[in-house]
Amino acid sequence: MSWHPVLLSIQVTAVASLLILVLGLTLALLLARSHFPGQIFLETAINLPLVLPPSVVGYYLLLVLGRGSPLVERLGWRSLFTWQAAVIASTVVGLPLMVQAAKAAIAGVDPALEKVARTLGSSEREVLWRVTLPLARRGILAGFALGSARALGEFGATLMVAGSIPDRTQTLPLAIYDAVQNRQYDLANKMVLLMTVLSFLALWGVRRLEQSA
Amino acid sequence: MLEVSLQKRLDGFQLNAAFTAESGLAVMFGPSGAGKSLTLQAIAGTFPPEAGRIIIDGQTVYDSAQRINLPPQARRVGYVPQHYALFPHLTARENIGFGLVHLPRHERERRTGELIELFDLQGLEHRRPRELSGGQQQRVALARALAVQPRLLLLDEPFAALDAPLRAGLRQELVQVQARSGITVLVVTHDLADAFALGQRVIVYDAGRVLQQGTRDEVFFRPATRRVAEFVGTGNILPAVVEHLEEGTSWLQWQGQHIATPPAPFAPGTPVYLCIRPTQILIVRPNRMAERKRENLLCGHIVSEMMQAETYTLQMRLDHSTAAHDLAIALPGYVYHRLSLDSEKRIMVELRRQVLHLIPRDTTVIMH
Repeated sequence: MSWHPVLLSIQVTAVASLLILVLGLTLALLLARSHFPGQIFLETAINLPLVLPPSVVGYYLLLVLGRGSPLVERLGWRSLFTWQAAVIASTVVGLPLMVQAAKAAIAGVDPALEKVARTLGSSEREVLWRVTLPLARRGILAGFALGSARALGEFGATLMVAGSIPDRTQTLPLAIYDAVQNRQYDLANKMVLLMTVLSFLALWGVRRLEQSA
Repeated sequence: MLEVSLQKRLDGFQLNAAFTAESGLAVMFGPSGAGKSLTLQAIAGTFPPEAGRIIIDGQTVYDSAQRINLPPQARRVGYVPQHYALFPHLTARENIGFGLVHLPRHERERRTGELIELFDLQGLEHRRPRELSGGQQQRVALARALAVQPRLLLLDEPFAALDAPLRAGLRQELVQVQARSGITVLVVTHDLADAFALGQRVIVYDAGRVLQQGTRDEVFFRPATRRVAEFVGTGNILPAVVEHLEEGTSWLQWQGQHIATPPAPFAPGTPVYLCIRPTQILIVRPNRMAERKRENLLCGHIVSEMMQAETYTLQMRLDHSTAAHDLAIALPGYVYHRLSLDSEKRIMVELRRQVLHLIPRDTTVIMH
């Protein structure tokens, strides 16, 4: 068995997880702590990849990343059919899980605690780092684990924007599909087992976080 | 010294309050939902009013006309919300030192240590808030607020979560804390006993307005309106009419009785409320009648009794009265037994003139 799909999946998932963490936390804070017009629209849009068929998500990503989009025409970033497109696809499908869990955890922090911190001289940034985020820690970590696990398992949209180019953009889930197509059941079995173990560990970690809360 | 005037439209009512508090303990007293907590938050800077002005020790921290609105970090106001809002992820020591992180480590440790000693929290420093009793939590919250040396301390229902026996001790402690630090302390409560024990100055709140403010004696013994009289537990708020005025005396007519009261600025015929607290009514034993000159003597029967802790509350019906009862009288248990009231239900009471207080029934009449 070639290790390339495993290593690529780790690379894609690591970068996607970082994006999910930063973007997810920012969006969660925004949605939990402020009210602005279009808030419900934004939240719904973030959640759409949870219910849309992967082909629809992939199609939108082709529009955003493909020829004619500002990313390509203005910034010159040609990402289609590279591992970077796989990162974007994984991020988009993992993000809603992170945002939902983190938003609920942040909204659950008693605003009185933040108010008291301010009267004790803490700046807004200190309130965030010393009160809000530590208290919302479990929910944030749970959302992060779920989002990362979803990113690791991403298949459909990735296939559309990154293709399934062996040794270049073929991640673990895509390699499994390929192995089954080619009747390499021995190889498929190993990779399926690996995927299952990794996903199981992520969900088990989430469960542990929820229980100790 | 604190000067506050605030306006804010809220769900169901309009907050429109103005009051002052000198250094010392002041109590903001009123029913739940009167806007007391929001007023505290506006002073602390964590809740924005629509208009008004807040001046603390001569510094304007909020003024809608001058567009001044200092953030809570710059107000130097200690704020202890209801249920204390201790940081649950931090130990007692870390809670107390929360506002001191900008200080050098040794200075921070010294100040935190002093407060732990002052509030008698030795041995509890490393506990989390949920491992502390209600009284201990309150002491940690006070220490945390005082650590940053505020010039004003705001406490929202500080005793609401505590059992009655604890309350008395903690009230005493709060009085001592204020005396030691010398800062202005403003306490919000809906509890009459708290207000009585703590309020050197009392501000009576109702539906977003200040009904009356003044010293404890002014508010409790000379309520300005019927509503205030009800809040402060006046007990007997009796509808009477001014009959005639004499040198040094206003005569009232109440339940067919003529009652002599201190001179009041009401013309004959003015409908008034005659106020007297149940504890201020004297029961006169027939054999002690001649001890001194008696006034406003009334005869009647005890029609019902209720015992609360050591205090008996009696309802008295006057002779010839058609009401269910006319006067509420409160007296300590030992007096009740010394007067043999368990067997003798016919009594004579004296309403001493100096404890009688009059309120106009028509609120458009201004009292001076």
